Amino acid sequence: MLFPFEALRTLTPDNCALVALVRLAIATFCGGCIGLERGRKRRPAGFRTHMLVCIGAALAMVLSQYLTMMTVNYWDGMVTFSGNHFTDVSRFGAQIINGIGFLGAGTIIVTGHQEVKGLTTAAGLWAAACTGLCVGAGYYEGALLGCILILFTIILLSRVERWIMARSRNLNLYVQFVNIDDVGAIIAAIKAQDIRILDVDIHKHQSGDINQSAVFSVRLPKRLHHAVLMSALAKVENVRAIEEL
Amino acid sequence: MTFINMIRFTDGFNFWGVLIRLLLAVLCGGVIGIEREHKRRPAGFRTHILICLGAALTTITSQYLYLQMNLFTDLARLGAQVIAGIGFIGAGTIIITRRRQVKGLTTAAGLWASAIVGLALGAGYFEAGLIATGLILLVELLLSRFEWFIMSTTRDLNLYVEYRETAPAEGEDATEGTLGAIVAYLQEHRVNVGDLQITKSGAAAGNPCAIFSLELPRKLSHDKLMTALTEIAGVVSVEEL
Repeated sequence: MLFPFEALRTLTPDNCALVALVRLAIATFCGGCIGLERGRKRRPAGFRTHMLVCIGAALAMVLSQYLTMMTVNYWDGMVTFSGNHFTDVSRFGAQIINGIGFLGAGTIIVTGHQEVKGLTTAAGLWAAACTGLCVGAGYYEGALLGCILILFTIILLSRVERWIMARSRNLNLYVQFVNIDDVGAIIAAIKAQDIRILDVDIHKHQSGDINQSAVFSVRLPKRLHHAVLMSALAKVENVRAIEEL
Repeated sequence: MTFINMIRFTDGFNFWGVLIRLLLAVLCGGVIGIEREHKRRPAGFRTHILICLGAALTTITSQYLYLQMNLFTDLARLGAQVIAGIGFIGAGTIIITRRRQVKGLTTAAGLWASAIVGLALGAGYFEAGLIATGLILLVELLLSRFEWFIMSTTRDLNLYVEYRETAPAEGEDATEGTLGAIVAYLQEHRVNVGDLQITKSGAAAGNPCAIFSLELPRKLSHDKLMTALTEIAGVVSVEEL
């Protein structure tokens, strides 16, 4: 299946340019496929980000093989020290795994309270870097399988997740308000919609100018859309912010 | 072959060979940086050159220790830390705006990639370095247009809506407000509301604002939805995020 790539599995002094071209091009393609899907969902790390990360990862991996090749073929005679003359091929790759972790951390936002967003994007970016690493190492079929499975997870499984979420009638609402006495009005507004309140978690702040907040766990009746409840709550006086968790 | 000899092979690890590697690093960092500078991104021309040059120096230094001083070292050890370290610098260019948008990620990724280009050029693997520079430029220049095209056809949309609470008109239900009208419109047109966030003090003018994550049905276009929402009484502004 991968017959044309069989010759490009090992880096030799003769195929230096070709190997770099083929692997980097494949990495660009893989990164693009993963990134395209993320970009379409309006996630911060899109098409180009994933491609760049994939190119970088593949390049680092090709480079470490190049260093090994040069050490074995050309530089061995130059050194006078005894012992092992080889470099560690996976040292560059190991730091990619590390470095992209940092980069991905930048996409993670902690919203208002108690909710973390952007984690899937960060994980996807990291997985794309690992795919690039795989291509750069010359493990073409591994990268191909990895890329397909990543796409499967992002595209199909997000549908499954959304399907489950859409059918869930349980909702966690984060509400910010001015006075602790306003909780009564909020609860009344929720109850007015025939909603069962499962749990209320109130955070009381002592200093005056900070808004009070509460997390309501509610169970919606059938057919009531969550946006309807939220717009009704927004009408309650002294409510400052509402967010789904 | 003499050029390749000069910058790659054992006899190439001399003053002139190193000079060529470093100049190539400046050149490649420069062309990647010019594109970013042109788009007025925070990490521009000089940043990319410095990163690329610094990265090239690390692999050159390893080779100096190994080849010229005959000290045993792993040739990849210094360079490997560059890959992790530039991840840090890149993360610093990422900002989160007041509207909870993450910006600067492409710049961070580009900076990181150009550091690795520097490593390759410093090591003398100039084919890979130049090919990667070409691909990075291709991605940044041509594919950003392709990305815009793809984005304009997507059905997922984040909308920022600033609105004013209107007094209910006569005969109208008092619990229905501007937001209620927006939600009713969305439900009527079968727009899937994924996530909703309402803040009453977000906008500058003190108007309440809402951030919707929407999934549009096939037949409803972005423009049509945005115009329709703008026409709802009380809506001050509608923006795509």
